Amino acid sequence: MSTAALRPIALPAFAFALVIALWEFVVTAFHIPVFLLPPPSAILSEGIKFGWPLITVHTTATLQTILLGFACAVVFAVPLGVLLAANRLTAEALYPLIVFAHAVPVIAIAPIVVVSFGVGLVSRLIVVTLICFFPIMVSTASGILNTPRDMNDLGITVGASKVQRVLTISLPNALPFIFNGFRIGITGSVIGAVVGEFVSANAGLGYIIVRSTSDFNIPLAMAAVIILAVISVVLYQFVSVIQAWATPWAPKLDR
Amino acid sequence: MTSANPSPRPANEAIRFDYVSVEFKRRQGDPVLALDNFDLSVAEGRFVSLVGPSGCGKSTALRLVAGLTEVTRGQVRVVGAGHLRGFSRVAVVFQSPNLLPWKTVIDNVMYPVRFGSPASDFDYRARARELLDMVGLSRFADAYPAELSGGMQQRVAICRSLILDPKILLMDEPFSALDALTREELQFELRRIHQHTGKTILFVTHSISESVLLADEIVVMAPRPGRLKDRFDVRLPPERTPTILHHPDFPRYADRVREGIYGKTAA
Repeated sequence: MSTAALRPIALPAFAFALVIALWEFVVTAFHIPVFLLPPPSAILSEGIKFGWPLITVHTTATLQTILLGFACAVVFAVPLGVLLAANRLTAEALYPLIVFAHAVPVIAIAPIVVVSFGVGLVSRLIVVTLICFFPIMVSTASGILNTPRDMNDLGITVGASKVQRVLTISLPNALPFIFNGFRIGITGSVIGAVVGEFVSANAGLGYIIVRSTSDFNIPLAMAAVIILAVISVVLYQFVSVIQAWATPWAPKLDR
Repeated sequence: MTSANPSPRPANEAIRFDYVSVEFKRRQGDPVLALDNFDLSVAEGRFVSLVGPSGCGKSTALRLVAGLTEVTRGQVRVVGAGHLRGFSRVAVVFQSPNLLPWKTVIDNVMYPVRFGSPASDFDYRARARELLDMVGLSRFADAYPAELSGGMQQRVAICRSLILDPKILLMDEPFSALDALTREELQFELRRIHQHTGKTILFVTHSISESVLLADEIVVMAPRPGRLKDRFDVRLPPERTPTILHHPDFPRYADRVREGIYGKTAA
């Protein structure tokens, strides 16, 4: 490979390594206590000490919450977004309610959800769904509303009914918008899953963070945070790949 | 007000405007009279140009036939197509190609089929390929519209309008967004398609030479309120090639359109 081809990989990798080295150096040179800011080496060794089987168990638990919660949000948010944008009556009836519901900080009601639905998966899924529901619904609705007038006229003149026009014109036209909502939503799902595990779990990376910080095992908490960051990046990229595959006509997006 | 040239009623009528008026309500002020007592009969198989300055109601007239606008007074009828739906009845070519960007070229051509009145035992996909072949785009059947130039996209739109073999084609300034060379090429191509298929074509344009070049019959319209100003037959040879521009009668017809638009003094 030529240097030009390597550059987009090599350059960020170098910058990344430099930041890690600087972090390690600063922590050692200024004798910063481990419970204030653990050096990268301590995070790594604590993660290894915790053991691969346990990491897998907790990561799987968190992933399950993220993906199930995200799926619930998609199942409710996309149809509702379509309905809101395509039907004036539903829009007028539901829009104020939705704006109000969106104004409620979901993290604030997470403990209340636990009281109502108990400590368990259901509570965590509710938190995740609530967090990523709105970006997906709003993106869907604005995608539907973005249907060019000429395209709708085409639908009318070919003889398509209102429902057929929504399904064959507005909805495919909205797909790039919907996927943008998915990309925002999947990142929100990670946040939602962690919040859910803070308040309602005995497994998962969020639970590891709560438990290890109470033991002053900051390196382990940081290890869990790093795994969460990796999950978030990987899922985001995964949605982007699906988007590129599902909307080959749309202009390529910058990742 | 009655039109100066009441439209004669041919026996083989395809489209009929019966003293049609269209008013558009505005948020403030008086409603705009987009069409005033518009009376016109279009005979089957004719190529009719509607020409006039903006605001003369030519696009409104077209949208009435397409079912995209409703009359305030009067009546618009598409004769003998009562049982047909969508593009089987009246097909439209818009000013922009208006292709669906998520569908391939051939699927765009196929789009009107399921909503119209297709024949049950007919291979429309094969027909779509024939049409694309006719406009020289068979190689692009599986491409997405974004991969095509504006002229190529408009050719696809023309194929789409022909897929269900409609009696009537409505065209709303279909070539106005194209470059001059592509426009000329498509004009002669369209005329050839008309000769070949015998469709009734209602063609809206604001280009005087385009209206003469293409039409068997020209309807000149005037604005504020939109109305019919003049109407006459173009008796040029039916086979139109670039040499038609040098036909001795060509400037005569162009002058008559110009006269209708600007009045005697400008001619």
